[in-house]
Amino acid sequence: MALTVTAPAIGAGERRAGAGFSLGPALVIPATLLVLAFLGAPMALLFRYSLNRYSPREFMIDAVTAENYIRFFTDPYFIGVLGTTVQVAAFCTVVATLAAFPVAYLLARSQSRWKSALVIAVVFPLMVGNVVRAAGWMALLGNDGAVNAVLRWTGIVSEPVRLMYTPFAVILGIVAVVLPYMILTLQSVIESIGRDVEEAAANLGAGPMVVFRRVLLPLSLPGIIAGGTLVFILCMNAYATPVLLGGPQFKMMAPALYDQFARTTNWPFGAALAFILMASTLILTLIGTTLLARRMHHRRIDAAAR
Amino acid sequence: MSELVLTSLRKTYGPTVAVDDVSLTVREGELVALLGPSGCGKTTTLRMVAGFIEPTAGQIVIGGRDVTHLPPHRRDTGMVFQSYALFPHMTVAQNVAFGLEMRNVPKAEAEKRVADALSLVRLGHLGERYPRQLSGGQQQRVALARALVVNPGVFLLDEPLSNLDAKLRLEVRVEIRELQRRLGLTTVFVTHDQEEALTLADRLVVMANGVVQQVGTPEELYESPANLFVAGFIGRSNVLAGRLVSPGRFESRGGLAVSVPADGRAAGPAALALRPERLTLAEPGAPVAPCMNSATGKLVLVTYLGATSEYRVDLRGDEVLTATLPTPPASDPLRRLAAGDPVTLTWPADACRLLAPDGAHDQGG
Repeated sequence: MALTVTAPAIGAGERRAGAGFSLGPALVIPATLLVLAFLGAPMALLFRYSLNRYSPREFMIDAVTAENYIRFFTDPYFIGVLGTTVQVAAFCTVVATLAAFPVAYLLARSQSRWKSALVIAVVFPLMVGNVVRAAGWMALLGNDGAVNAVLRWTGIVSEPVRLMYTPFAVILGIVAVVLPYMILTLQSVIESIGRDVEEAAANLGAGPMVVFRRVLLPLSLPGIIAGGTLVFILCMNAYATPVLLGGPQFKMMAPALYDQFARTTNWPFGAALAFILMASTLILTLIGTTLLARRMHHRRIDAAAR
Repeated sequence: MSELVLTSLRKTYGPTVAVDDVSLTVREGELVALLGPSGCGKTTTLRMVAGFIEPTAGQIVIGGRDVTHLPPHRRDTGMVFQSYALFPHMTVAQNVAFGLEMRNVPKAEAEKRVADALSLVRLGHLGERYPRQLSGGQQQRVALARALVVNPGVFLLDEPLSNLDAKLRLEVRVEIRELQRRLGLTTVFVTHDQEEALTLADRLVVMANGVVQQVGTPEELYESPANLFVAGFIGRSNVLAGRLVSPGRFESRGGLAVSVPADGRAAGPAALALRPERLTLAEPGAPVAPCMNSATGKLVLVTYLGATSEYRVDLRGDEVLTATLPTPPASDPLRRLAAGDPVTLTWPADACRLLAPDGAHDQGG
């Protein structure tokens, strides 16, 4: 999972007159070297592995072959794993966006002195590791868990309902993990939309729903795109949550490729899975953001034509 | 256009009173300015009229309709925001058309009205631009057009000129006034700039600490301020603390005896307000007409302002009067006065305005 953080260029235009040398560009050198050494190099190596041939006895045989990739796209099992991954990731992204927007709006518009406490409350789950959180979900969702206990105690069900090791549990777990990222991204974008713009729309006769649809939503679209991208990438690469809450029957890409490396020691195929996961994440993210951005653009053109 | 009536409007935030018992009638086609220092409650009052703030008590009636508890989008007010609040994702024409769209005005008619509104503010050629492509003054005019195009019952302006540079401010000020007159708009205008208020408004409402201090025409406020706050806020005033010893006779704390108009006020502590331009300056020993008040002191500062000059005169210790005079010609001996010179100030009795002393509540006018 690679997150690139783009920092605003600092120091541009601050060059002192007469000084031909600026420290600005030099500042990115350490980070660049680090990325090259610890991300670029292993990935190049991994890509090379994915072209190798696997042999159960000799582990890995040097070759240049596409057979690992061909195997993936001809095996219905792995196509299914990729399908599940994409579906879960897309669904979680949509759910997270819908759930995050009202909270982000509330946070962004809050004048309360509790605001910073609220922000900390949103960030707090990030301090708890995914595994710990999954364990918490187990305690809640298991057959002897809290939810079933309440359901049985109130007499709604007589037999425990199976909640653990279902897609529902995985989706719930992943959404809970990614929600803070979505909330914080949306919050900062909504904060940059002046309250007065909403007020102006209301003043011109727009009810709350119309203000949302015509003003708030289009202006928050950049935030939805940014947050959606971030969250989708996190969902596509989720590991601990699907393993712990989905159980052995529920396979997503990250656990599947870990299995290849750790259990079957089929490094070439594992490497191929890694690149397929990365490529599909990249391609789907690009398609999604382009569609959303174009939609934003279209709406402008449509409105202009009217 | 409709009449706007505020009755005993009040807004409190916990123990803080932001607006206290504001009653005001803005007649059809009248421009009323709410004027006061920041935090005086003028913007809160305006936002209550627009519906963005729910009043704690009181009533708001626009054109005979009680709108006190209606949401903003059902109030039929047209507001121009301090920040303009244009929709950045819409073109100028779409911004202006928004209110018409909300009112389901047929497309052909809406297009015509948008074009009319834009040409009214001389932006007819910029309809396809986005707000960020316009200058501050142009954005301001788009905001005006957007608020006006729907023919609102009441036109509300929240410090609309404060983000413009000085020259532009003057231009837009004249423009707003002309539009308002031509279209007969019932208008409430919030500003902290007294010059802006004096030049624009039919009537002014001076507010301080959430309370209306005085309502009146610019002339009424300047000539007959109701209290020390108004006397100091509208134009400048010299203020002498002291007491009214008998009708028509005021004595300052420093011992200066002044004859003042007998206005029926009972003897007792009082403050005397004097406009600097009503004072005249003479060299000591010059003859003083018997009907004039006079005071002798030491010149502490002369400020040359071009057309006028300002003279700061120290009477006795802590009493200081400032006189503003048309700058005398170069040959005049007054031009040779310098700090430290003894001078005499004279002024007629009717230039004096007696007010309640500082701290006392005086709700005259």
